Amino acid sequence: MNKKLIDEIITTFKNTKCQMIENKRLIINTKKDIIHPLLKYLKDKEFTRLALISCVDWINDNEFEIIYILTSYLLEHEKSEINVIVKTRIARDKPQIKSIIPIFENAEFYEREICEMFGVHFEGHPRLISLFLEIKYDIPPFRKDFILREFCENTFDKIPPVGDEK
Amino acid sequence: MRETILNFGPQHLGMVGNFSITLSVDGDKVIKAIASPGYLHRGFEKLMENRTWAQNFPLVCRINVIEPDSMEMVYAMGVEKLGKIEVPERAQFIRSIYLELARVASHLFGAWAYANMLGFDTVAQWAMYHRDLILDLFEELTGARVYHIYINPGGVRRDFPKGFKEKIIKTLHTIGGCIPDYNDTFFDNRIFYKRAQNVGKLSRESALLYGAVGQVIRAVGIPYDIRKVEPYAAYDKVDFGIPVRDGGDALSRILIVRDEMIESVHMIFKLLDMMPEGEVWNRPPNPFKWNIPQGEAYVRVESARGELGLYMVSNGTDKPYRVHFRTPSFNHGLYILEKVLEGENIADVGNIMMSLYVVAPEIDR
Repeated sequence: MNKKLIDEIITTFKNTKCQMIENKRLIINTKKDIIHPLLKYLKDKEFTRLALISCVDWINDNEFEIIYILTSYLLEHEKSEINVIVKTRIARDKPQIKSIIPIFENAEFYEREICEMFGVHFEGHPRLISLFLEIKYDIPPFRKDFILREFCENTFDKIPPVGDEK
Repeated sequence: MRETILNFGPQHLGMVGNFSITLSVDGDKVIKAIASPGYLHRGFEKLMENRTWAQNFPLVCRINVIEPDSMEMVYAMGVEKLGKIEVPERAQFIRSIYLELARVASHLFGAWAYANMLGFDTVAQWAMYHRDLILDLFEELTGARVYHIYINPGGVRRDFPKGFKEKIIKTLHTIGGCIPDYNDTFFDNRIFYKRAQNVGKLSRESALLYGAVGQVIRAVGIPYDIRKVEPYAAYDKVDFGIPVRDGGDALSRILIVRDEMIESVHMIFKLLDMMPEGEVWNRPPNPFKWNIPQGEAYVRVESARGELGLYMVSNGTDKPYRVHFRTPSFNHGLYILEKVLEGENIADVGNIMMSLYVVAPEIDR
């Protein structure tokens, strides 16, 4: 069953690599423009719940990796243990990807978080405004080139100690 | 019709935790709700990238104040998966017992918050007292009351002390013996029914569409539980039920919390009987020189609120390259809360928020 699913994905979608780990995690590497049809296809195959959207900053490759994790609501079924991890890489200079809200409604806040923390723009998102942070940083804070110690020294060391204010 | 903006929280009597909802109201009807989190954002995921694998344990448990143990568990599972560490069988049983105790403590805390919200202060104090009894157990076992740092990669930090099993049984009997009192004053109370029935209703279809987990999905009649779907620790060796109701309202969700508490107590008794002898900790290598091979993992556990996941990437060094927690409250407290609040009364906002079991530190991380 799982093998059939993998074969079907590879034949239907070009430029796609599939890897099954311990019969529980199906990792699919694909191109940016295949994400929409692929997620729609997986949704039809009972992987109806979006568990997480994550992002990894591969600064040495000058790329971001966007990760979609899907699971199913099935119980006591061979698909129930599987988490599908769909991964795609986008350029780091102008990070842009299509929003998946038309397919999974609850993607809204996950995408907002990634936009805020990594500066990835999601096309077609209805309210891509800040979620957690109060101010806008020059470099989005979860990127690898945002160095915590440097930021602390620049921000907090400039505040004069109490009593030195005059 | 006159639309008014009402800031519900972070300084509001009906709000538990540092969280805020901006409500557009007409009279006392909520037209639109906008969740605005961020008061507890501490950037844990970024901090963890700058610390070694072992140093991260005191950090992860601080992500969720109410139930730190599932956080430890999910992080330990991720490290074990990437570092390929085996866990002894006795440690798996101890982990399960410990996690179930934590679930009972968390549900009692939840009962405190919910009862407090509805004005049942007596019940709230009982729940707090009973939670304290479990914290005493934790203190004896781990040395700390709230943040235990007990689960380590490769097992647990120490074995049960002498006579600890009897103490667990005694404490659970005390708590279990008070369930009828809880029922009389709170769970079977007519005022509670009036406040909770048909409030914050979520239909089966929309719960599936919004990706609900935990009590929210079990309140619409789907027994979805990670402990059954993808068993971890010793959950595949013990027999337990999953309480399900089909109201989809605040009442169903809170009654499921109570039923789960009772189920957990029964499960702990069973696990205590089945516990094998042996080692409890396969010590990992020296934590200062511990490099974990390159790779990625997605692990998940059933916390008290639903599926808690962790996506973790290692690039072969002594620090994680990226960690991302999938907390149940993130989806429940932001997306589902906004949807459910539309059309409800202002008086029920805190009630609905607590029935979705939203914990603010878990959203912000």
